[in-house]
Amino acid sequence: MGNQRGPATFLQRLQNRFYAIPAVVQWWAGHFVRRARSSPDGPISFTRLTKPLAACSVALITTGGVHLTSQPPFDMHDPDGDASAREIPGDVALSELTITHDYYNHSSADRDLNVIFPLDHFRELAQRGVLGRVARRHFGLMGHIEGVHLRRLQEQTAPDIAAKLRADGVDFAFLTPA
Amino acid sequence: MGLIAREIEAAGIPTVAISLAQELTASVGVPRAVFVKWPLGHPLGEANASAQQYTLIYDALHLLLTATEPGVIAEPGYRWRRQEYTEPEWSKLR
Repeated sequence: MGNQRGPATFLQRLQNRFYAIPAVVQWWAGHFVRRARSSPDGPISFTRLTKPLAACSVALITTGGVHLTSQPPFDMHDPDGDASAREIPGDVALSELTITHDYYNHSSADRDLNVIFPLDHFRELAQRGVLGRVARRHFGLMGHIEGVHLRRLQEQTAPDIAAKLRADGVDFAFLTPA
Repeated sequence: MGLIAREIEAAGIPTVAISLAQELTASVGVPRAVFVKWPLGHPLGEANASAQQYTLIYDALHLLLTATEPGVIAEPGYRWRRQEYTEPEWSKLR
């Protein structure tokens, strides 16, 4: 992958190593929840699959900061994050993708993008007939979104992605975090 | 990620997510998630560990087929490097 940026500072790298420890992640998640900033109200929607997997079109969505090297990177200067999304074509070579995301250690995903964005694996499953096909478009976002950007994600970016998935005839979406 | 899953599901498209932070996923309320207590940045496992990566994909697809109510978080309990991963039997999914 070209155009790689490492974490911005020594402190950021140190922090990313700390947050790579699973017990620390669980503690952080609990702390985040107790501050109760992101829980939407209302019941969780639930839609059942209506076709066998072998007839389904699947779209991948990741909040791990994945985008095409030719697209603008996510904004790492705004402390509240970047709520925009990047469209990733279904026939892209993984070598055309990169990760911009300073808030986690993505060295494993830099070596093998399937760790976070397993498009190769899903194409393989489609070829083997386990799944129907991979969708025309997939989506890369950045997690770590707060403040005003959270509202933009909820009111603009996410509904826009949902509308594109519907337009593309996607039967289900597979989501991966950072 | 949870907010996006909820929005897509509300538009009539089923979703399944991988979670590395159980309490957060439970709090946001994701329609379906497979939780693994693994390092951040590794939702499907280690680099070039395709059996491990495919195992998580299998578990997610299995949950997609079998979940009967929203908010379910499956917890297969894989022990990161202390677990032996084998290529899933995909025929069992059909």
